[in-house]
Parts: sequence; structure tokens; C-alpha cells
Amino acid sequence: MIQIKDLHKSYKMGKNSLHVLKGINFNVEEGELVAIMGSSGSGKSTLLNILGMLDSSDSGEYILDNVPIKDLNETKAARYRNKFLGFVFQSFNLINYKSAAENVALPLYYQKVPRKERQEKALKYLEQVGLKEWAGHLPSELSGGQKQRVAIARALAAEPKVLLADEPTGALDSKTSYEVMDLIQKINDQGNTILIVTHEPDIADMCKRIVHLKDGVIIEDKKIEQVRAEQYV
Amino acid sequence: MFDRDIWQEIYHSISNNKLRTFLTGFSVGWGIFILVLLLASVKGMQNGFTLQFSDDATNSIFVRTGTTSLAYGGFEAGRRIQMTNDDIEYIKRSFPNDVEYISPRVYQNTSARYKSETGSYNIQAVYPDHQAIEKTIVNKGRFINTNDLMNASKVAVIGRKVEEDLFKNEDAIGKFVEFNGLPFRVIGTFTDDGDDNAERNIYAPTTTYQKMYGQTDHIDQIALTYNPNYDLTEALAFSDRLENVFRRRFKIAPKDQSGIRIFNYAEVFEDISNFTGGLDIAVIIVGLLILLSGIVGIGNIMVFIIKERTKEIGVRKALGAEPWSIIKLVLFESVFITALSGFIGLGIATGLLAAIGPSIKTGAFANPSVSMSMVVTATIILIVAGVLAGLIPAMKAARVKPIVALSDK
Repeated sequence: MIQIKDLHKSYKMGKNSLHVLKGINFNVEEGELVAIMGSSGSGKSTLLNILGMLDSSDSGEYILDNVPIKDLNETKAARYRNKFLGFVFQSFNLINYKSAAENVALPLYYQKVPRKERQEKALKYLEQVGLKEWAGHLPSELSGGQKQRVAIARALAAEPKVLLADEPTGALDSKTSYEVMDLIQKINDQGNTILIVTHEPDIADMCKRIVHLKDGVIIEDKKIEQVRAEQYV
Repeated sequence: MFDRDIWQEIYHSISNNKLRTFLTGFSVGWGIFILVLLLASVKGMQNGFTLQFSDDATNSIFVRTGTTSLAYGGFEAGRRIQMTNDDIEYIKRSFPNDVEYISPRVYQNTSARYKSETGSYNIQAVYPDHQAIEKTIVNKGRFINTNDLMNASKVAVIGRKVEEDLFKNEDAIGKFVEFNGLPFRVIGTFTDDGDDNAERNIYAPTTTYQKMYGQTDHIDQIALTYNPNYDLTEALAFSDRLENVFRRRFKIAPKDQSGIRIFNYAEVFEDISNFTGGLDIAVIIVGLLILLSGIVGIGNIMVFIIKERTKEIGVRKALGAEPWSIIKLVLFESVFITALSGFIGLGIATGLLAAIGPSIKTGAFANPSVSMSMVVTATIILIVAGVLAGLIPAMKAARVKPIVALSDK
């Protein structure tokens, strides 16, 4: 699903340039649940930005679902993001004046899906995350865990190839975190490819594979026995 | 393009910033309000001028002669130029297609007496054509006719004021009034919209006065109207031709301004339309400058809104919003606020003008109003203004990097 070869990225900081990614190589197969771990400054956020087409690499190859991702202008990047990727953010990033259903329908709006179909799909995905009854509520009326579940439903709604989650449990207490992880695992069980950036070992342990980044290189890449979140819920 | 989502977002954005939106909208509405009122005022002035001059036929020309100031054609300077009845015939013959009505004017001061009432008045001895030239409204009796002229009848048409002064409550028609001791029969009275002074005039046949005073055929002035179908250029060309012919006829140097004077109303109208045209431009510039401050205000609020919503825009982009859809959002909102507040200003201004405009009529100012084309122009200006106001903020919004959505700050 994802092939990355010799990815380099450096940022210019005045006269100095900061080499953040120093040759990353890794592949993700369809249906994997990968945790990208590392301390701050390890380059994991930069890697996620490049994977999410929010930033471009200096050199190296990035192939997503057999499509080489390079030379993107803003419009093209937006289309690819919409088509290939679903984002889950640490701070949920729901639009606060839109109801849960409207938030979920937003990526479909950018896919120019007709209004009625958007609403149907939004309800379907809200049901999948167990929040169908909350469809008409504004984000401010939801708890943190519920918000993240709406955000996950939103990420799923566009039916992306890969789900990218940036510290999805970073703003949640541990019980809610496990609930969210349980949801993520179930979505993964259905065959969705998911990448999670986290620095919490217990969250990483709930994935099927851990990629450890340090100082811009992968120092460890191992498949693990998945800890099911269900048992903690 | 105008789907519900965009309206929803505009509604949300406005209702979240009610006061701010109101204040900025107010500045645009105010700008348009002032612009429309200013333009209407210029129109009012134009109307006022036209009204003032429409008392006389607006296609009239007056020819006066005086004393030459330059030596020319073998004559020394200081020669007195005297027009005669022949000149009337000469103009009629020379410009058969140009002249509509023509009449000489012989001026005479007179002391008039009826019974015990006396007064001092100006008499203009004229042809019947004069009624059309001066647009004299005869409200009783009749004006001088061809018979009066041929017989050199001692008849007079007196102004309303003259009748009031001399005849008090009596009806003047048919009565005899003494002018410098000679009896004249009053055959008509007239009114004048222009001013009260005109109603202190007395008209008599030219021939009568020419016979009474020295058997001359002298005339003081020629008044005429030209073909009413002439436009400004043709009118001015005609008076130029007329002037050239008269200068040749009387051997007056081309540059001699005191030998002959030809006054053409078209020139006045040209001046007025130049003046109000210039005023129009000045007003439009002032109005647009006022509007500009409104536009800057809207631009300002949009920049602020976008700053507030940077994160949201980042999220939208991460979810696949193309730059154009973000630009569209900002532009629509900007155009919406501008157009809405502008229309309110426009509506109030035109409403105000429709309500009180027609009742305004003082001197050189009458019925200030706006034309449909002005309203349409203002609308276009508003929409353009909205786009301009939204353009910079929209570009700013489109440049928001979706990374900001990921960086949780």
C-alpha cells in the first residue's frame, strides 16, 4: 500500500539546515496497523506530514496505492488527500459549528457527493462508531472520546486507502484512549490500513507493528503480538 | 455554486461576529448612501438649472449691437452699429432653414398711468413671434398679432404685476392706459413662471413704437429661436454662422467684442452640462473614496476571520478542500456582506429621495433623484467591491498550510 524509499527531508533554519529525515525506507501492506514511535524531534511528525501530503520530501520515493506521490501542486495534493487519506488528529479538529453528521459529511462534500447521499453515508459511519443518536449534536455537546469517534467516522467517510492518526489518544484519559483504540482495532479488522503516530507504549502495543524512529532514521521495525483494547474497556 | 453549505458557513460566520459585521457593513452602506445622495444632488442641480432656463425657449439666440472698439474695413473705431427691420428680413432670407421664430426688440422706458395710478415700466416693442421666443403665457386676452403690427396699432400686452399695480381689482382688458401720455388699449395680460420682474414688462407692436418715435426702422435687439431639432454642436455652429454674416454686413472686425454680441442659450447649457458633468465626476470620486474605506473595513474583518479560522481552514484542506473552494468561501462571504449592506444603504438613499425628492424645489435645486442606470452601476460597484475586499483575505486563506491542523497549538 505504501512504499517509501530513501526519504530525506531537511529544514532551513536561517543559515543552518536541519536534517530531519535521513533516509527512511519502509513499506506498509494493506490491512496493517502500524505504530510510529519516537521522542519529539525524532522526525515522526515530519514523516507523517510527508505521508499525509501536507509536506514534500527533498529526495526519495513515496508510492501510495501504486501512485507515485511527487510534484504536487495544492489542488492536486488536496484531491489525493481526499481520495487516499483519512486524518485523525490529536485535538479532534471537528468544526465546532457543524453537527456531528455534518462534520462526518465534510470530506464527502469535497468529493462533490450529492447532499442526500452525504447525509446517508455520514449516518452510516456514525453508526459504525456508535454515535448515530448523536448525529445532530454539536461537538461542544460531546465528550472527548465521542469527539474522537466522530473524527474517526469523518476520516472513514471518504473511504480512504490509508488512515493516518496523529496521537489520536493524546488528549484523552486512558479509559477513553482504550475505547478509541478498540474502535481503531475493529476498523483495522475490517481490512483498513492504519498508521498511528504515538509516543505511548501501551497504545503502540495495541498495533500489529511498531516502527521506532530516532534522529531521523528507523532504528527498529518489528511485528508484534497485538494487545486487544477490548479487554480494558 | 450557491449550495446550502456555503450559506450555512456565511450565516455562521456572520452570526458569530454580529457587531463586527454590522459595523463594517455599516461603513459600506454608508458609503453607498452618501454616493447616491451626492449624485442625486448633482442631478437636482441639473434639474434646477434646466428649470430656471426653460422659462425662455432653450433654443433662443439674442443679437445685440453696440459701438465698435476696433478700426475695420475703412471705418474707425467707436462707430455705433444700428440694426434695422431690414436685418430681420435679411436673417429670414439668409437662414430659412435655421430660424424658427424671429422678432426685433425695441426698448422704451415709459411712465404708465391708469386713472390715478402711475408707474414706471419697460416696454418691449416686438413682433407676434416674440410670444414663442419668450414663452410668454397670455392668461387673458391675446398677444400682439400681425394686424396690430401692420396697422401700428396702439395696443399693449401687460404683465400681471402691471395689471395689479395700475388696475387694482379691475379687469384691464379693453381699458385704455397712458404710456408717456399716449393712450394704448390693453389687449392681453401675461404671466411668467421665471420671475416677477418679467411680469413688470409691457409688450407693444414694434411698428407702433418705430412710428411714434421718429419714423425710424431702428431696432435694439433681435431675438430668435433656431430649429429645435438642432443639437448643441449644430446650435453653436449656427450662431457662429450668424455672427460671421453680421460681422461682414456691418463691417465689424472679427475680434471686436463690443460691436456685436450674439448670445446663444446653447452656450449656457454647454457650460452647465460641463459644470455638472465635472461635478458628477468629482462626486463619483469622493463617493468611491468613502466606499473604499468601507471596502478596507470589510477586507480587514475578513482577514481577522481567517486568522481566527486558520486551524479550521487547515483541517478542511487536510480533508481535501481545494484552494479554490476556500477562496470561494471567503469571496462569497465578502460579497454577501458588501452587497447586503450596500443594498440597504442604496435602498434607504433611494427611498429617501423618492419620499422627499419631488418636494424639493428651491432656486437652482429641484427634484434630486437617482436613475435606474445609477442603481445598476452602484450594484455592480458593490459586487466588485466585495470581491476586492475578499480577494486578499481569500488568497491568504488559500495559502494556509494544512500542517497547521496537525500541529496542536
